[in-house]
Amino acid sequence: MRDIFRTRRMWRPRGELKDRYDVVIVGGGSHGLATAYYLAKNHGITNVAVLEQSYIGSGAAGRNTTIVRSNYRTPEGARFYQRSVELYERLSRELDFNLLFSQQGHLTLAHSDRALITMTERAEVNQLLGIDSRVVGPPEVARLCPELDLSHDVTWPILGALYHPRGGIIRHDAVVWGLARGADRGGVEIHPYTEVTGIERSNGRVTGVRTTRGDIECDTIVSATAGWSTLVADLADVRLPITTHILQAFVTEPLKPFLDVIVVSSQMHVYVSQTDRGEILIGAEIEPYTTYRGTSTFPFLEYSARHVLELFPQLENVSVLRQWTGLCDLSPDYSPILGVTEVDGFVVSAGWGTYGFKAAPIVGTTLAELISTGRTPELIAPFTLERFYTDTLVSELAAAAVSH
Amino acid sequence: MRLPPSPEERIDRSRTVTFFFEGEPIEAYAGDTIGSALFAAGRRVFSRSFKYHRPRGLLCCSGHCPNCLMQVDGAPSVRVCTAPVREGTRVRSQNVLGSLDRDLLAVVDKVGGPFTPVGFYYRTMIRPRRAWPYYERFLRRVAGLGTIDKHARRSSRFDTEHRRAEVLVIGGGPSGLDAARAAARDGRRVVLVDEGLALDAQLPREDGFETIAPARAIGIYEGGLVPVDAGDVLLRFRAERVVVASGAIEQPLLFPGNDLVGVLLPSAVRRLTRLWSLRPGERAVVITADDRGLAAAEDLRRAGTSVARVVDLRTTQPAQMAARGSHGRVRSVSVDGDSVDCDVLVMSGGSQPAYSLLAQAGARVEYDGTRGIFVPRDLPPHVEAVGSAAGEGARGAAAVPAASYRGTESGGRCFVCICEDVTDKDVKRAIAEGFDSIELAKRYTTVTMGPCQGRLCHLPSIRLYARETRAEEATIGTTTARPPWAPVRLGLLAGRGHEPAKRTSLHHRHKELGAQMMWTGEWRRPHSYGDVAAEVRAVHEGVGVIDVSTLGKLLVSGPDAVSFLERLYPNRFGDLKPGRIRYAVLGTDAGRIMDDGTIGRLSERDFYVTTTSTGAETVLAWFEWWNAVWGYDVSVDNVTGALAALNVAGPRSRALLARLTELDVSPDGFGYLDAREARVAGVPCLLLRIGFVGELGYELHFPSPYAEYLWDTLLERGADAGIRPFGLEPQRILRLEKAHVIVGQDTDSESNALDANMSWLVKFDKDDFVGKWALEHVRERGPRERLVGFEMANGTVPPEGGQIVVDGLPAGRVTSARWSDAVGKAIGLAWVPPALADEDSRIEIRVDGRLEPALVRLRPFFDPDDERLRA
Repeated sequence: MRDIFRTRRMWRPRGELKDRYDVVIVGGGSHGLATAYYLAKNHGITNVAVLEQSYIGSGAAGRNTTIVRSNYRTPEGARFYQRSVELYERLSRELDFNLLFSQQGHLTLAHSDRALITMTERAEVNQLLGIDSRVVGPPEVARLCPELDLSHDVTWPILGALYHPRGGIIRHDAVVWGLARGADRGGVEIHPYTEVTGIERSNGRVTGVRTTRGDIECDTIVSATAGWSTLVADLADVRLPITTHILQAFVTEPLKPFLDVIVVSSQMHVYVSQTDRGEILIGAEIEPYTTYRGTSTFPFLEYSARHVLELFPQLENVSVLRQWTGLCDLSPDYSPILGVTEVDGFVVSAGWGTYGFKAAPIVGTTLAELISTGRTPELIAPFTLERFYTDTLVSELAAAAVSH
Repeated sequence: MRLPPSPEERIDRSRTVTFFFEGEPIEAYAGDTIGSALFAAGRRVFSRSFKYHRPRGLLCCSGHCPNCLMQVDGAPSVRVCTAPVREGTRVRSQNVLGSLDRDLLAVVDKVGGPFTPVGFYYRTMIRPRRAWPYYERFLRRVAGLGTIDKHARRSSRFDTEHRRAEVLVIGGGPSGLDAARAAARDGRRVVLVDEGLALDAQLPREDGFETIAPARAIGIYEGGLVPVDAGDVLLRFRAERVVVASGAIEQPLLFPGNDLVGVLLPSAVRRLTRLWSLRPGERAVVITADDRGLAAAEDLRRAGTSVARVVDLRTTQPAQMAARGSHGRVRSVSVDGDSVDCDVLVMSGGSQPAYSLLAQAGARVEYDGTRGIFVPRDLPPHVEAVGSAAGEGARGAAAVPAASYRGTESGGRCFVCICEDVTDKDVKRAIAEGFDSIELAKRYTTVTMGPCQGRLCHLPSIRLYARETRAEEATIGTTTARPPWAPVRLGLLAGRGHEPAKRTSLHHRHKELGAQMMWTGEWRRPHSYGDVAAEVRAVHEGVGVIDVSTLGKLLVSGPDAVSFLERLYPNRFGDLKPGRIRYAVLGTDAGRIMDDGTIGRLSERDFYVTTTSTGAETVLAWFEWWNAVWGYDVSVDNVTGALAALNVAGPRSRALLARLTELDVSPDGFGYLDAREARVAGVPCLLLRIGFVGELGYELHFPSPYAEYLWDTLLERGADAGIRPFGLEPQRILRLEKAHVIVGQDTDSESNALDANMSWLVKFDKDDFVGKWALEHVRERGPRERLVGFEMANGTVPPEGGQIVVDGLPAGRVTSARWSDAVGKAIGLAWVPPALADEDSRIEIRVDGRLEPALVRLRPFFDPDDERLRA
């Protein structure tokens, strides 16, 4: 509160790079900054540099559609994301920075019997793990979201929904800035506009990184680079089974409160929420083609508009203000690749697809613990890169036609 | 209150139009906009600002700024300065508590300032956490502008048109017209689109090219796609060459009070006086960095407004300037301490090329320090810029960067961004807090993120930012220009909804029979005809018929057909004799089950492949992909829509068929898994003797135009045998009694044929097939889980998707479950851990939060030895 009456720097201005750090984190997004923050806070490891090729939060952290939830299909995933939701719930106070976490509830619509089966499965798994998640019928959907077109005379009538009361939206930039401030105050150095160009190794372990601002020695490198994950891993000769796709979204002009629950339709590849600023935020499924070219497309606007009006015909005369595109690192089973690799000291947080932002705090705490103790925390053990060699995949895919 | 008629004016004084503002009738002339008519009626306050609820009046009259946003016939945030008047239109103000003139929320402006600096919401309302939902509800209520009628339905009709042109000119100003004429003279097919707001808006309908107005290009997208918003029609233009003549946007100056009502940009003066013959005020001051301001002074004088003072920033460099007002309206302007009373203040900070379309098309944007503006460079091929959009003619604005900050320190609020109510102090504070890159500052302050999309705030914010960080504008760069170039309605983008919904050729028959229809993928299918149990019984005891036209149907033909199918499927087909059928499961390259169906060999080189109803398109694409990769001499023809299919099933199906065909349907003549071609009731059919529902049965595939005829004939001729049509729900029960799987329900993206108990169809001794290596790996590592049948110990039907629980944790899942009258039990299929996958293993299934016991069954629940099926 005091901070509104005085001007205080959020973080130190960027300084010179040192010759050596214990840990170098590649990627100044939500995962990189969370890892840095928890390294300092939970483990007292402060000789850490976060290297970011652009400004902090310039990648997926600042482009996602800010949904936080834990109603996943697999027990491994649900348990993991539930810890993340719990950490997010505490994070505003912990960082003394209001992340505007709006736990307004999350409704995933079922337009077919089969979708209802998938949702029942998710709800049952969730309930066994203590997660508030349940299947609701049309009357309950109508109560939770009276704005929805629940008539049967539509292409995709609504047969029910998976309701997740603790799901919500959060201000993504605030997460980045709050974590950056926390990490900076903990002693970590943040270096924006510093691009990694090489990873030095010796005897199968990392020894340093080359950057556009000079070379650094280090023992541990964390790559938290989302859409660029395969490129960074390639510098360490680590192959990741990941393809990079674009994901698009748009916002409308700001409106007075219209919608106070997040609505997802997997069938129609669309999800809709209203931000605290009043904009209706609409996202879709990732584009099926692989590319690093973050160009927004017009057909995306057309089909998303068509689908959103199927759900909310009232929005016909509301105008789109801005569309944008981000990169997603997609793994074959829609679960992340998290932890150690075959190169000692090279740790990855990758393969998130469209789920990365939801996991920032739990990735931060678990990777910090991994780096500090040298042991993989049990919570992330199912997500190792090794699973693609042992064929022990953790499939979120069956549940995910649209994955938000 | 109009000026004497002039030849230039756009109003038709002989025709009046009446619309309603806040319920009160307003008289306007044809040719007025809602904005000009309200101004003529004496209205000066048009909106309240986003955050501080300050009164705002007309500023640009060009559809750029946020100051005249109102609700028009229920549509939120309409720019009334450019919206034509229409008879009976209902116009309301938005974002006010009270009225435009007395807005209770203006208290934020009066006393809230110190508590609401930039980003205040990040610093406050953190504790106690319990209170946050209440804070948030309040925040949400005060945010936002327009309102939506929650009960409204779609009312307008929008269309999409695909258009081509050799040359598409965007913008009908002088440069655009020149470009269009020149291209037309060269014999090119030219289309010019114009927003219809330019001064010479009655665009000459010239020969040689087509003019579309009012119409606005939304963007230049990949592949040269230029969508054009033409009201209720979206024109999707493709052109060989795109000429951007989008002009320039007049920029405001930064000084305290620059948002007061009565502060105008030159375009507003031009339009008010010339188009609508209105006098902007009585006494004016002009502060300008270019000739536009001087022209506006001229316009004002002609309209009878006295121009008290003109400050030309190119010749004078005032150290201080500020506007003061009362009740939100400008009353005086002081320049270097010299105060002049006025009710109009024209400000002109130069004009910025409207480069957004070009930037989106791929042009680089560069700061031109000598002119103080951003200009487009390195245009992509086939796109060119002309006129002021290209930066031409923006001379004499160099004084702006220096001059436009004079006085920002002299107290009062100086707005950098009027959409979001961001002041110079906010930007300075953001920089001091460490948001020291322009992209970070944009996100923190929300400058450029409002309804004007940065038109009026992008350049001033970068200038201010440069000044505060002591950097050159050129090194700061610009934030990314994001499409669309202008706000565009969702309804227009959506066009007419053409969501595909598929119906079989028997759809109307089902409706006539009172079927409850249900959605399976894109198909509409009968759930049942009202009595599920009776329909099941009919199939078990007599004969039933179900419409299975939705099955995917592919003809695979050619000398390499066997090799092709053997390489696609884990099954073997080389030994399949013509006239025989085999159940087959299609796998992905990771060995996962993708689809299933039956494959019948029609001849040495012709195969008839059926797929699941929802998988048809995926399978076709998969076939075509691999055929292209392998280059076999095989053709794949999709006959899904061409052929209808009926499954006639039940112990009496043979007798019924015998009445309708000359084919030998005896058990020896037409055995289980045989395929025959014959006429049934005169209709040429392919008959497949297969049994998804577990009784003797025949699938009839035939040209879909005969469907109603054959359906009717079957029902008529089978009436004495008690034939009943049956729907999907009875089919699901029947197939579950046989433990037949439904791919996509009983399997998921991780299921493989070995774990799903189909190892008998996987031929590891084949040279290769898609996914072979993966299945070999599965064979080595052993199963992770297994698909088994189960029956409930006490008859409760568990939910599909229900969990098998071991030690309180999820360990498996129910994929199908039903009550079966024939078995007399609740039965189902489930994935269970291998340790629980033996006959009679006891499992526990969670039902409504309780655990219910069940026993594992590995054989079909009904007719386990397939005696009825093979009868």
